[in-house]
Amino acid sequence: MEDLKRTLKQQIIDSLNLQGMKPEEIDDNAPLFGDGLGLDSIDSLELMVLLERNYGIKIEDAREGRKILTSVQTMAEYIQQHRKI
Amino acid sequence: MKQLLYISAACSISPQHTYDAENFLRPVVTSDSSKLYSLDADYSKYISPVAIRRMSRILKQGITAGMKCLEDAGVKTPDAIIIGTARGSVTDMENFLKDMINMQEEALTPTGFIQSTYNSVNGWLAMLTKCTGYNQTFVHRGFSLELCLLDVQLLLAEATETKHILAGGFDELTEEYFTIRNKIGHYKDHPLDSFSLLSHYHTPGSIAGEGAHFFTLSNENKNAACAIYSVKMLQTPGSEELQSSIQGLLSENGLTNEDIDILVCGMNGDSRNHFLIDPLIAGCSGNTTIVTFKQLSGEYDTASGFGLWLTNYLFTHRQVPAELIYKQGASDKIKNILICNVTIANCVAVILVKSARP
Repeated sequence: MEDLKRTLKQQIIDSLNLQGMKPEEIDDNAPLFGDGLGLDSIDSLELMVLLERNYGIKIEDAREGRKILTSVQTMAEYIQQHRKI
Repeated sequence: MKQLLYISAACSISPQHTYDAENFLRPVVTSDSSKLYSLDADYSKYISPVAIRRMSRILKQGITAGMKCLEDAGVKTPDAIIIGTARGSVTDMENFLKDMINMQEEALTPTGFIQSTYNSVNGWLAMLTKCTGYNQTFVHRGFSLELCLLDVQLLLAEATETKHILAGGFDELTEEYFTIRNKIGHYKDHPLDSFSLLSHYHTPGSIAGEGAHFFTLSNENKNAACAIYSVKMLQTPGSEELQSSIQGLLSENGLTNEDIDILVCGMNGDSRNHFLIDPLIAGCSGNTTIVTFKQLSGEYDTASGFGLWLTNYLFTHRQVPAELIYKQGASDKIKNILICNVTIANCVAVILVKSARP
């Protein structure tokens, strides 16, 4: 799980072009949107593409997506249970 | 229709030191790769860190040049935003297309698509300035900027009160874009120092360039150094047609050849333009000083924006830098400047700019 979270953080940094940020600077439980990383709606689309490309996970339901994309922790938990790649 | 466009402010991000105009030509930036890329500016002054991470270079340059142009004119929210670009953000388009191929049209990221649309810069500028007025993008290759200026003329001609319009043009150079245009013979097939471009006038092709040039245009003179009087476009004209169009434009404005103090000539060093450029230069009066700019900007579809920025610079600084002079004329005034831009595809634009100072 720790390895997955570290990899996921690096993938988030790369796909969202979070320049100058390192994986260890992202708190596992900090919110990705709003106060935490301060991501926006376009980033949420990028994160959904990230899940599909890297883990074969397709999020169809927007409400479910909102829960999955709450933090790195929630994303990692979902990936662990549903990954196809 | 005669609607003057007073240039309240101008800002350019180009391969030269134009963003900080006080250092223009100090030094002249050159290249021996047949490519002139724009110099970076401090984009973070106008674009938030959250937004900037998603933007390609040309988006950052277009937005920054537009915002600084408004700031220099003292305008927070323009009445309209009108921009010309031949290609939009080429980098984003290339990224999106490569993604489509690599991912077999599945799981495509939205950023490349959103930012690659031609009107991205317009949209960002509108959001940053809270401008809900007229917003238009002209995409017409070598006439993109000129059509934008014509639209500004039309809009201001209808205005009954003072209006400030942000207008401009931008185009981007990428490695792939260079490769494609190089294959169709748009660029010199031998290496050369970019500043010596015009001495290679006997061979076909030019050098590639890019830039973002913005102008705050108004129907009222508020400390403007100059105003655009006429814009004329000619698609692949013959030499005689060009000559007679220029004479017509001058006489419409009560001028003759002798009244033109400076010709800002957008010759691009391509031997295939000889038949237009040579008679144009030969037809100039002895009064007229001829200055050139494509050895500084490179050739691209909205390069006339560099010429217009340079024209405003000449009116503002009231002297012609020696590095730009192709032929010295007798006139020591700077009252009337004619811009004549010729693209590789032989689109010719003629713009008459006159001093706005008494």
